[in-house]
Amino acid sequence: MKIKQIINYLLVALLAIQLVSCDNKEAIDSPFSGTPTERLNAKEKELNDLLMSSELGWKAVYFTDNTQLGGFTHLFKFKDGKVDMASDFNNDTSIQSSEYDIILGSTVSLVFTTKNRIHLLSDSNSFPIASLRGKGYLGDFQFLYYGQENGEIIFRTSRSFQEVRFVKAKATDWTDLAQSRLMVPNVAGATTRPLFRLLEINDGTKVSQFDFNFTSASRFATSNSIETGSSVTNNIGIAYTPTGIIVSPAVKVGSQSLSAFTYDAATGNFNATGTAGVSASIKYSTKPLVLTDDFKGVVNGPRLTYAYINGDLKGAQTNSLLFNNLVAAAKATLLPTQDFNRISLIFNDPVNGTFIQYSFTGGKGAINHYLIAKEDPVNKTIKLTDDGWSMATPPAFLADIDKQILDPAGLYLKKEKFTIRYSNTIYTFTSASSNFRMTTYAL
Amino acid sequence: MKILNKYKKLALLSAVVLLGSCTGDEPLKESQLDLTVKPKTELDNWIDTNYLLPYNINVQYKWNPNAVDNNRFLYPPIQSKVQPVLEIVQKIWLKSYADVAGPNFVKNIAPREFVLVGGVNLNTTGTITLGLAEGGKRITFFETDNVDKRNRSNIKRFLRTIQHEYIHILNQTKPFDEKSMATITPTGYSSAWYNTTDAVALEEGFLTAYAKSNINEDFAETAATILVNSKAEYASILGTVVSPVALASIKSKEAIVVKYYKDAFNIDLYKLRDAAENNTNDVINN
Repeated sequence: MKIKQIINYLLVALLAIQLVSCDNKEAIDSPFSGTPTERLNAKEKELNDLLMSSELGWKAVYFTDNTQLGGFTHLFKFKDGKVDMASDFNNDTSIQSSEYDIILGSTVSLVFTTKNRIHLLSDSNSFPIASLRGKGYLGDFQFLYYGQENGEIIFRTSRSFQEVRFVKAKATDWTDLAQSRLMVPNVAGATTRPLFRLLEINDGTKVSQFDFNFTSASRFATSNSIETGSSVTNNIGIAYTPTGIIVSPAVKVGSQSLSAFTYDAATGNFNATGTAGVSASIKYSTKPLVLTDDFKGVVNGPRLTYAYINGDLKGAQTNSLLFNNLVAAAKATLLPTQDFNRISLIFNDPVNGTFIQYSFTGGKGAINHYLIAKEDPVNKTIKLTDDGWSMATPPAFLADIDKQILDPAGLYLKKEKFTIRYSNTIYTFTSASSNFRMTTYAL
Repeated sequence: MKILNKYKKLALLSAVVLLGSCTGDEPLKESQLDLTVKPKTELDNWIDTNYLLPYNINVQYKWNPNAVDNNRFLYPPIQSKVQPVLEIVQKIWLKSYADVAGPNFVKNIAPREFVLVGGVNLNTTGTITLGLAEGGKRITFFETDNVDKRNRSNIKRFLRTIQHEYIHILNQTKPFDEKSMATITPTGYSSAWYNTTDAVALEEGFLTAYAKSNINEDFAETAATILVNSKAEYASILGTVVSPVALASIKSKEAIVVKYYKDAFNIDLYKLRDAAENNTNDVINN
């Protein structure tokens, strides 16, 4: 009897549960505004409307990886699946048309589906530095939509989650692209300016200096503190503007971040100003920032040879334009079959002492210029003076090069950290009073 | 008995309640996803007429992030280049097989999808991937932006991709004589094939360096080399081989390939080569 009762109650309970089982679940308040599908659809529409909403299109300065590359300015104008685009990737700043799509993946994203300017950044076969072989400029052309902020569209790239912001473009932005290209040589450094560059930052009380080495191809500059014991770096990616540059990451000065630098045509400097006396400047210097002691022991030591070998060092970045021009001008006076083979600086030869040897290809005999060498420990230079030639009349075609090597102000000698083609140590000789710099192997 | 009846009634009632309990749901509405078909361009229609409808081959030329390796730095083709490239494939590959093996051959054994990529697929080792075949279903062509129909060597290089990858697809349908193939140059295979130049590979009994990667690639490279070259061009390649052993190896591999085409598909490989050669000349000269 008891068990029967229990079963009866259970049955009633079961029935009761069934009756309420299909109660309306919608009554539970959802924290979201709709179903996931509805929300994704809404986002998709929002992005598409947003892209088309700007009458003059959008501007984005795309830093693909600001630890090794600079920024590339792109302009976009969207209209019903078509996009007009221009960029400052190279001198072709014309507007080109292609297609775009808004697709659903992990989130809503914008994809440039047929070829246009932005794809130049993700060409495996076009890379600015050897370490990026197969990776191009690390560019992406699928941008995940992360919302809006102050009228800007925030995207993150699909591959590396770099933030890219689309800012409403002005009419001038479209014409500015060609103007920014004119800034390129100013950043690369005019050959008429001094050979050395530095980044100087002033936090209002103290000035700190960093060396500054810019690589045009990657639009990136490395910048290390010159203070002994300091490991502070200010490596920056650079994007060109009509009036100067934008850098990323921003240069930190005290608590302020400076990212927009203005070009000063008179000095060739790029200046950024903060508040309360804070400033940063990329400027030129006639003297190396750090004078090395590499000159010591050369003049009065064992026999040493430093040779510029034309076949291997012609393209060395550390050769200055003045040096390259002088060599080219001298070569132009030779027979077409002849060229420079080596320009060697030989110190303390047991027979000939110290001398420059100019040797040639194509059957032309070598020419020696004998010298007297002295150290200048105060200015940290080596000074070379004339002590006769291996021929009666000094050859006129070598006079200009020779004059630079015999600069009365002396030559700075620097042991470089890189090598070129061979494992031999590279030394550079730089004139203390002109833009002459020659790259040599220590042999 | 009474109790049992009661339970029966209860069970019946409960079943009725169960069945009727959820009838209040609204009827299904249309999908919330946007299913509208985008308007087709002239190019899309051309692809439908020439690839999709006759061969059931889909062509993806617009970027689809899911169809390519996301770790590679590639980009979509220039739109105006798409049709010329597909015309070349149609003329030299599809038409040659149709001429020799009948119109239905490729329709029956075909990749289901082509993916076009505009740029070069350069590997960090410095090698270049010209094409990919995935599971016999999808063939990816790289460098379509660089195809130049007036340049014979350029066309040959591009066509090698489809010829090579299609041979893999044929192999997946009917296997080739792997045992015999493996005994010809058994020690020459290496995963570091790219350290060998084509010229050195030739003296080791391989038509290309890539053929050294494994016997499947060796088979495909042997067949593709025969198909992309004219009879005279192929003879001149063999003419440069100095080592008699290497020459004999290549000839043995060629024999296996020829036999495979004949036995498996009743195709005369040399006729197929001549058809491809005629069609290649047609493309270059027109």
